[in-house]
Amino acid sequence: MTVKRQYTLPYCNLVLEGIESVATDPYSPMTVLMNAECQFPGVTDTTLTGGREFLDSLVSAVSAYGQHLLSGVPRPTSANAPLVDVKPGEGSVHHLIVRQQPGGEPTVEAEALAPLDIPLTTVQFYDLMEAVDQLLADSQTLPDLKAQFQAVSRRLVKPAEPMAKRSAPAVVGAAALVAAGLALFFVPPPEFEPSRIERGSETSEVLDAEAAAEGADAWDDAPTITDAVTLTTLRRQLRQRLQEGWSTDNAPSEILVYRVVVSETGDVLGYKYENDAALEAVDSTPLARLAVPAVDAEAPRQAVAQFLARFTPDGQVEVEVWDPALATEEERQAAEDNPTDAATTTENNATDAAEPSEGDATEGEDSENAATDDPEDQGNQADATSTETADNQPQLNLDDDPQTLETLDSKITDGDRIRDLNQDLRARLSESDLPNPSADLIYQVRLDAEGNVVGYEAINTDALLLAEDTPLPSLVSSRAASDDQADFRVVFTADGVIEVSPWDGWPQ
Amino acid sequence: MLDTLPTPELPSQECPRRARTQIDLMLLAIEALDLGGSEAMLAVAQDLGLDPVVKGRVNLWLLRSTNPMRRYSQRRPMTLEEAKAMVAIIGNLARRLTVLMRQLLTGYQQLRDRGLSLDHHLRLADYLQRFRTHFRARMNPRRAGVIAYSTDERLDELAMQLLEQLLLCSGILGTQRLWSSLFDGEVV
Repeated sequence: MTVKRQYTLPYCNLVLEGIESVATDPYSPMTVLMNAECQFPGVTDTTLTGGREFLDSLVSAVSAYGQHLLSGVPRPTSANAPLVDVKPGEGSVHHLIVRQQPGGEPTVEAEALAPLDIPLTTVQFYDLMEAVDQLLADSQTLPDLKAQFQAVSRRLVKPAEPMAKRSAPAVVGAAALVAAGLALFFVPPPEFEPSRIERGSETSEVLDAEAAAEGADAWDDAPTITDAVTLTTLRRQLRQRLQEGWSTDNAPSEILVYRVVVSETGDVLGYKYENDAALEAVDSTPLARLAVPAVDAEAPRQAVAQFLARFTPDGQVEVEVWDPALATEEERQAAEDNPTDAATTTENNATDAAEPSEGDATEGEDSENAATDDPEDQGNQADATSTETADNQPQLNLDDDPQTLETLDSKITDGDRIRDLNQDLRARLSESDLPNPSADLIYQVRLDAEGNVVGYEAINTDALLLAEDTPLPSLVSSRAASDDQADFRVVFTADGVIEVSPWDGWPQ
Repeated sequence: MLDTLPTPELPSQECPRRARTQIDLMLLAIEALDLGGSEAMLAVAQDLGLDPVVKGRVNLWLLRSTNPMRRYSQRRPMTLEEAKAMVAIIGNLARRLTVLMRQLLTGYQQLRDRGLSLDHHLRLADYLQRFRTHFRARMNPRRAGVIAYSTDERLDELAMQLLEQLLLCSGILGTQRLWSSLFDGEVV
C-alpha cells in the first residue's frame, strides 16, 4: 500500500509517495520512495518531481548551501554536475538549479534541455531547507535518509588570506624545525658533547629569526600605539637604527619597502616585505639582525606601532607611520578623545571591574561613551613613559638639528607692529594642517619686521619631538628682512587650538 | 541536550576564532531583535539545563567576550562544551523569533525590490539601529576585523546577514546546522 508524507511550509511543499516496510502495518516507516514532489506556492508554478536520486540530490544541495550561508565558507563542488544545485545570486537571491531529466517519453534531445532555475528569497530558501530538515528528522519516512552535517575540511578550503598570513610563522617555524630535524638525523652522532650543544643553539636561532621575519601580521590584533609623541620617538629611533645598521655599499637598484612592527620600548618585533624587491634583498637590510622574536607569538598583548620603512637606492632610510586604523574617521575621533581618557583612566578601571556584573543585559546605548578599551589606556601609559624617557635622554638623535634661537639684540618695540605680526602669524599658522598632539606644544617663534619666520625653538619636549608635524618648519625663511625682530609664544593645544601671543607680553 | 552536537575533529580542543566571533555576533543580533534578549539567554540556559556550563550572567559575559572583536576581549579559550551550550541557546532563541525574522526579511526583500531605503520599514530600521548601537558599544574599533564595519552601511549588511543566518538556524535541525557550520574549514 502506498503512503504519502507531506511537509508543508508557507513557501514550500514537499510531498513523498512510497511504500511501507511492512505492508500490513500502517505505522511502519516508509522505506521505499516512489515519487518525490516539491512545489513552491507563491514562487513558481513549476513542480519539481523525481525519484530517489532527485530527492538525495535535493537534500544534499540544500544542506550544503544552507551551511555555506551560515559559515560563509564556500563548499568544494563535485566534478560531475549534480541533479540539483543551489547557487548564490545577486543580493539575497538563491538560485535553485535543477537539471531536467528526460520525461517518460523518450526525448531525443534530453541533454539539451536547459536546467530549471528557480530564484528564491532567503525566507523561501529557509522554507525549502526546513521541509528537507523535517523530512530528515522524521524517523517514519526513509529512515536511511539522515542528517549528515559535515564541516568542510581544512584541506578543501582555500584559506582566506588573513588566516594564511596568520599561520605563516607557525608553518615556516614548523618547516624549519622539520628541516633541521632531518638534517640532524643524517649528521653522524657527535664525537664529543660540546659540539652538540652548539649545534642545538644554532637551530633555535634560525627558527627565531624565521619566525620574526614573517611575524608582522601576527601583530595585527595587538593594541596600537596611537600617541603622537610615542610614535614620533619610535619612528626616529627606528629610522636611525636602520640607517646605522645598513651599509650603503649594497644600495638596492629599486626601493625596498617593509612593514615593521615596533614595541613601545623600540624593539623590532616583526617585519614583512611590502614589495618583491624587498623580499629578495631582505638579507642586505639590518632588519633581521634588529628583530627581537616575540617570546610568545600566540599572545601579542603589548601595544605596538607599525611603520613603513623604505630603503631607497640613494642609500637613505625613510620611515613613516603605517596605521590603517587612523585612516577612518571614527579613529580620528577616538584619537581626539584620548586626552580626556587619560585623565579618567582610574575611573575607567572602575568601570572595567563593574562591567561583568552589569552584564550585557544592562549594557545600554549610553555605555558607548563610558566604555574605554584597553589599547587606549595602554597607549596613554605609553605616552607617560615615553615622555619621561625623552626628558631623561637628551641625545634623542633627531633627524635634524633642533632649532635654537640666539638672544635677540634689537627687538621690535612698536606696539601696533607687534599686534599686527601676532595676528598675521596666527592667521598663517591656522591655514596649515595642524598637529594633533596629546599635550600642548609650546614654541618660541621669531619674526622679522616683515612678518617672516626667522626661526623657532621648542620650549617643551613634546614640542621638540613633534616640530616636524607643525607648519613651523615650512614657514622659516632663510634670511631675515630686517634686524628688528620680535619673539612670539605659539602654543598648539591638545584641543586643536592655536594660541599666539607676544613673548614679552602684550605691549602697553 | 548537547549530545546531538557531535564533537568535531579539530587540531585543538578549543573553539576556533571564527566560531567564537560568530557565536557572539549572533547573540548580539538576538539582543537587537528582542529587547529582553540577554535575560532570555540566561532563562533558556536554565530551561535547557545548561546552567552547569553557562553559570550565570558573569560567566555568559566572559564566554561572549572570547570574541576577539570585543573591547574587553578575554584571552580565555572557549571549550567545545561551552560552545555547544551557546549554540543550543542561539538555536532555541532563534526558533522563538522565527515569525519576527520572517517579517523583517520579507520586508527587507520588498524594500530592495522597490529600491527603497531600509528606514521605510519601522521594525527593520529599529533592529538595524539597535544592532549598530550594540556593536559599536561593545566592539573594539581598533581591531582589524571591526574597522571593516566602520560605516552604517557595512554594519547594516552585517546585521542583515546575521538575521538570515539566525533564520536558518531556527528550524528543527537549525542548531545542528549552525554547529556544523562553525567548523567549516577548521576540521582536520
